[in-house]
Amino acid sequence: METRSFTDYLRGLDDAALLRLFVLRPDLTSPVPPEVASLAVRASSPPSLARAIDSLNEWQYQVLEACAALNEPLTEKEIIALTDSSAKIVIPHLLEIALIYKSSDGYRLPNSLREVIGHEPAGLGPASMAKLSMKKLDEAPEAAEKILQRLVWGPPRGSVGDIRNPGPGIAWLLKENFLVPLDQRTVILPREVALHLRGGKIHKDPQPNPPIVTGKKVERPAADRAAIANISTVLRWCEEILNFWSEEPPSALRAGGLGVRDLKSAAQHLGVDEDCAAFISELVFLGGLAVIDGDDRVLPTHAFDLWLTQNPEVRWRSLVSLWLITSRVSGLVGRGDSKHIAALGPELDRVNAATTRKLVLETLLTHANLSAEIDSFLAYIKWRAPSRRNPGLQSELVAWTIRESEWLGITGQGALSTYGAAFILQEENLGVAQDLPKPVDHILIQSDNTAIAPGPLEIEIARVLDSIADIESRGGATVYRFSETSIRRGLDHGKTGEEIKEFLRKTSKTPMPQPLEYLITDVSKRHGRLRVGNTTSYLRCEDPALLTQILSDKKLDGLPFRRIAPEVLVCDLEATDAISALRAAGYMPAAESTSGILLNGVRLNRAKSKPRPPRIIGEIESPSEESLAGALRALRAGERSSKKQSSLREIASNALTALPRTTANETLEILNKYVKEQRTLSIGYADNNGSATHRIIDPLSISAGSLIARDHGTGEVQTFRIPRITGVAPL
Amino acid sequence: MTDGPLIVQSDKTLLLDIDHPLSTECRRAIAPFAELERSPEHIHTYRLTSLGLWNARAAGHDAEQVIDTLIEYSRYAVPHSILVDVAETMSRYGRLRLEADPIHGLVLITTDVAVLEEVIRAKKIAPLLGVRIDPETIAVHPSQRGHIKQSLLRLGWPAEDFAGYVDGQHHEIDLVQNGWKIRPYQELAAEGFWHGGSGVVVLPCGAGKTIVGAAAMAHAKATTLILVTNTIAARQWREELLQRTTLNEDEIGEYSGAKKEIRAVTIATYQVMTKKKNGTYAHLDLFDTHDWGLIIYDEVHLLPAPIFRFTADIQSRRRLGLTATLVREDGLEGEVFSLIGPKRYDVPWKEIEAQGYIAPAECIEVRVTLTEAERLAYATAEPENRYRHCATTRTKRDVVVELAKRHSEDQLLVIGQYIDQLDELSEVLGVPLIKGDTPVKERERLFNLFRSGELKSLVVSKVANFSIDLPDATVAIQVSGAFGSRQEEAQRLGRILRPKSDGRTARFYSVVSRDTIDQDFAQNRQRFLAEQGYSYRIIDADDVWQGKL
Repeated sequence: METRSFTDYLRGLDDAALLRLFVLRPDLTSPVPPEVASLAVRASSPPSLARAIDSLNEWQYQVLEACAALNEPLTEKEIIALTDSSAKIVIPHLLEIALIYKSSDGYRLPNSLREVIGHEPAGLGPASMAKLSMKKLDEAPEAAEKILQRLVWGPPRGSVGDIRNPGPGIAWLLKENFLVPLDQRTVILPREVALHLRGGKIHKDPQPNPPIVTGKKVERPAADRAAIANISTVLRWCEEILNFWSEEPPSALRAGGLGVRDLKSAAQHLGVDEDCAAFISELVFLGGLAVIDGDDRVLPTHAFDLWLTQNPEVRWRSLVSLWLITSRVSGLVGRGDSKHIAALGPELDRVNAATTRKLVLETLLTHANLSAEIDSFLAYIKWRAPSRRNPGLQSELVAWTIRESEWLGITGQGALSTYGAAFILQEENLGVAQDLPKPVDHILIQSDNTAIAPGPLEIEIARVLDSIADIESRGGATVYRFSETSIRRGLDHGKTGEEIKEFLRKTSKTPMPQPLEYLITDVSKRHGRLRVGNTTSYLRCEDPALLTQILSDKKLDGLPFRRIAPEVLVCDLEATDAISALRAAGYMPAAESTSGILLNGVRLNRAKSKPRPPRIIGEIESPSEESLAGALRALRAGERSSKKQSSLREIASNALTALPRTTANETLEILNKYVKEQRTLSIGYADNNGSATHRIIDPLSISAGSLIARDHGTGEVQTFRIPRITGVAPL
Repeated sequence: MTDGPLIVQSDKTLLLDIDHPLSTECRRAIAPFAELERSPEHIHTYRLTSLGLWNARAAGHDAEQVIDTLIEYSRYAVPHSILVDVAETMSRYGRLRLEADPIHGLVLITTDVAVLEEVIRAKKIAPLLGVRIDPETIAVHPSQRGHIKQSLLRLGWPAEDFAGYVDGQHHEIDLVQNGWKIRPYQELAAEGFWHGGSGVVVLPCGAGKTIVGAAAMAHAKATTLILVTNTIAARQWREELLQRTTLNEDEIGEYSGAKKEIRAVTIATYQVMTKKKNGTYAHLDLFDTHDWGLIIYDEVHLLPAPIFRFTADIQSRRRLGLTATLVREDGLEGEVFSLIGPKRYDVPWKEIEAQGYIAPAECIEVRVTLTEAERLAYATAEPENRYRHCATTRTKRDVVVELAKRHSEDQLLVIGQYIDQLDELSEVLGVPLIKGDTPVKERERLFNLFRSGELKSLVVSKVANFSIDLPDATVAIQVSGAFGSRQEEAQRLGRILRPKSDGRTARFYSVVSRDTIDQDFAQNRQRFLAEQGYSYRIIDADDVWQGKL
């Protein structure tokens, strides 16, 4: 009946109202209901209602509670009477979102709504069955007064020792029907009584208006200044953590994610605390700039190289957008009762993370120029979106979001920045690119072997400098230090000393100090003086002329000889092949060993690599004397068994009725004994499911917790795991 | 965004662009709270440290001022975390105070009971404390004043020391400025020290630290104990004090291996103070026997560890440390700060050079290529002997001799580490050598000859590294040193930094064997001076032979 009228109500809505309903309750449209009847069913289903209720703010919820406390049909007047005149503003919203609906006689609630809200809305008990005289309440004895005080604001239930033998206060209340017994030990305060005592309003603390967010006033320019520093810092952190990982890739934990130690070293590298390092790790992970590679190493991706070439605003926006919508919560890193929750790990997702972030940003937007105190901020958020299921996590999420907003530069000094505002409003131009310091294209080299980039460097220059100098200090500027090691690294990367000098001369605004020039020359002079390469064989000869002859010998044409010193040739052929080729060409080479000893024995062709016989698959062990004897015995036994089958079967069936049971120690002892004595045994053997089976076996040997024995049942040699043997008895 | 001269880095270093028009103004503004780390030619590096910030608090600057200064001069936005950190750090100072209570003696007083509760529970602190007088006050054993300051500093809750100083026995001392005048920076340094109570003054070698000491004594007007590195230095202090102050010969005593005089002003050597007799420090009493009003530590970067321990016990006396470099190769800078006091005055070398108080100097590294045989000998030498091998080669000797010849008209010092090498050089050059076992009389005679110009050159071992006063040395040749010691290099350069009468540039040669460990050490040694803006020029030994200096 009611459902029909809810259906009728929905059916009566115009397009705009339905559309509005879908906007407010998007879950109703997935999938799109085929007809209004099924829409009504869905809209009054508990999960959908719970979702709709979650979207209410504290005051809307309070008004809804008031509705639930009233008997249907209910009127606006009644609602206002229970709450406050400002409920009037809320009722249309409740209608829009279809948490109440209009029927011909007044407002009604969809089915199940009371269930979802709970049967004691706002801590009110059930309506009284008896007629009550509220006046009497004024005469309540003191003991009764106390009990009423305790129950009036809910929960309305109280437990008593024994309902048949109540205290004086309770007795009075029960007598006057101001308390109703529920069962032997529980009493409940009827709704009317509570409402009367509450003075006709259902909430002790009605909150028609959101709590005021307090905090320090921060002017926009100050916030922007701080925020732009935060933005450039966060971008630099991302870049640095990835460069760090590319040099020393951490290994992901087996359970996924970054180990505590790796997180710590990343934090140390960035000079931030671990919370922040976890945040940065997650941020680059979200952005696809880093990935856990197939070999479990955490490495930057190619996307990182692309990302680096983008302008800072694009870089920033891409990361912040992903941060806003992700369900991953980096604040959880390091938490966990039994085990540590790891960054980049699988345990970071939380359902309401993204909604909370969005809510925080919206709140920031409505409270621009304010660096909010966290408590007042939390109170406000709690009003906006009361989280009835996990309020603890919500407060943490809010705190983390505020902290992360600062790291990201959405806020500066705690107040929303121009860039953050532009981002939230999805403006095309965030202003980040204009306000970030312009990249510089030069450095200042000083005579203490440092170079200073007085601003963010252009990426190409930074890359070259990174390869030839160590970074000593980071921030708005970068201080590089040249050292022997750093120059050598540059040379290792394929630059020549001249190229390095040329690059520095070109890039530096100040003349290159002479000691640095010398340093580069010195290092490059020594670099590569020692050469290392691979070769298979060599030819050496005290007469360089002979080697020259070999090199120019037509008969040896095409052989891979290379002269590396007047008296040494190297060759990619095996020594034996080289010798036979030389012999064929008429030379008389002799072979020598690695220590230079002449080898003049007969040379046999042998493989160069270590022997690597194929792995033996299966569990056959090299037969010992015992096992050979056992095998023989098994063979005999097999022969015998055909004859003895019947008698054995008899024995077996007897044994089955009483499976041998021995303790683990006894088992091993008996087994050892009978293996030596070579007796046929009756054993109980547990299968995979734990149920014991009876086997008749001839033990052969015992090794590493296993018994190898011939099973009479199958006639095969089989391995029995000793722990599974429930008992042994000789036959 | 301003276009200021300062860049605030996220690692708390401040980079000051000194070519910027506002750089001088900015330097002055940040000097009270930031410590100068390096001052090469273009960008100076300062660092924000807890010590520096607390120092600024002690001098009456608050966090807001510091933050405003940073923001005002910063070229880019200042990282918020740094501002927070500055405020946080500075707020830690002054929550604990050491005061002299008329009834209970030395007491630790707090404005924040939680902090007091925290520190009295620290293991290192508890044994230093006496009875709890009230929730905010606790008695401290007077003898532990130094230790408690040291330990509180390590805990990050530095105590402001209001317990004051004993005045010491009064003794009239004044500067006598006849024919000379105290330089402005010396006066500033002495005043900075006096207002701070105790602390360290850092001035380049040759910038007249003795005068700062004398000026401090004139402020204190009390009996003074001066601790110096060796006897020669002691005599020079004496000379200087006689010349610059109202003190007469009878008022200055020397307390050394040779003499044990205790006068109103007593100059003692570190060596005698740390000498042990039957396992105890025999001369330690010197700190207590007299009611000193001021204790001066010369060359504080060389202060031996036992002296630190004594110093902890005499916190009620004013202490002045003097040095050219606070770089200690043993890393005990923190001890200097907590026991002698924070840095009270510091000025870049180049700034004093620009004012003409120290001579401009040119540092030249002469690279010597070893012969094949020498290279082979070096390559096969035991690792512990390698430095000696390459630092004392024959080839090097020849180059030094040639260099000395080319500077035969200048007052020249040849400085080295290894006695046999110096003996050889002294013989080849025909120049006297001063080393550890040269009698003091002989040393003074040679120094006087050198001072008067009769003697043009001297070969000196490391005994003369410090405090020798050679007014007119214009060229120094360093042939070997104590491995990579940065402060030794600075001290040696200091030998030639006294302003020359003709305003000439001094020259500092460092002869180094190419491609050996000698070269690596040289690089390390030069780092400090390079950071002070002295740029080394490298020339080849062949240039010496061809006279291209």
